[in-house]
Amino acid sequence: MSITQEVETAGDGTGSEFRRGVASCAPILFGTIPYALVLGAQAAQRGLSVVELSAMTGLNFAGGSEFAAIQLWTSPPHVVLIVAITFLVNSRHLLMGAALAPFLRSLPRRKVFPALFLMCDESWALGLADSRQRRAAGITPAFSPRYYMGAALAMYLTWVAFTTLGTLLGPMLGDVGTYGFEMAFPAVFLVLMRGMWTGMAAARPWLVSLVVAALFYLFIPGAWYVAAGAVSGLVAAWLMAGDV
Amino acid sequence: MIDATTVLAIVLMAGVTYLTRIGGYVLLRNRTLSARATAVMEAAPGCVLISVIAPAFVSRNPADLLALAITLIAATRLSMLPTVLIGVASAGLLRHLIG
Repeated sequence: MSITQEVETAGDGTGSEFRRGVASCAPILFGTIPYALVLGAQAAQRGLSVVELSAMTGLNFAGGSEFAAIQLWTSPPHVVLIVAITFLVNSRHLLMGAALAPFLRSLPRRKVFPALFLMCDESWALGLADSRQRRAAGITPAFSPRYYMGAALAMYLTWVAFTTLGTLLGPMLGDVGTYGFEMAFPAVFLVLMRGMWTGMAAARPWLVSLVVAALFYLFIPGAWYVAAGAVSGLVAAWLMAGDV
Repeated sequence: MIDATTVLAIVLMAGVTYLTRIGGYVLLRNRTLSARATAVMEAAPGCVLISVIAPAFVSRNPADLLALAITLIAATRLSMLPTVLIGVASAGLLRHLIG
């Protein structure tokens, strides 16, 4: 029996596995939509066109790094800074991919590489949780590619569509700077960080980053504060990991 | 309008992001990361995000600092949309009143 046949017989049918993935992602999409609209509106304010923003969210598809990039966006953009920050924000994918890897052994590589393009926090979490449940229930293979693709594609299409819509709607709000609209960024980032929060001890490197970045911002001209803050936080995490 | 530097930035962003997505599968699947490496990778996204918004914490405008404090409290309790709305509304209102 080939791998594909095994996969197809493991679910009730190919369509139902896909639909099960979409359905389990649906509640998450309600949280994603406002966030996508905010990103699109912010991008429009920073001077990105609809095509540019759609290309970014469609090719990059990683919200945290896109918010960081837009926040740092200038005209023309500082390419090295933006790419380095994108890598740092998305470095968590390395751990996520490693955690998912044991479940992907049942799939050929030509399917794994496209599937990983769609791996975001949400599709990863759903795919991993589902694989663990199926493994516990004795279903082989534990990883359901169609379930994963249902969840991941729903997320992808929603993200690209609503960030694009945000870019189109953003300019209708006029000059939003005077209304306190910049506070949207700290608000978004603080909520994202709340989601990453695992306790005071694990958050100490964040405090180091905040203090160093703030000092650099106040005393060193240019956008060095982001790199300085991020690197000092990582060094702090490295040093602090020694005493836990 | 599509600007060449913008296209370069977007393509490179997409490239490094895809590398992080396949990197864990390709490089780390048969390895155990040290506790230190794991701690650094887990701290990284938060370190970057807080560094990007650090200027807001040292704003010279008291209205913005107060609005940031309100936003911070909202972020610990509420979801994305209400936090953003409270942040924007408090910054707009406080600037009007004291800024």
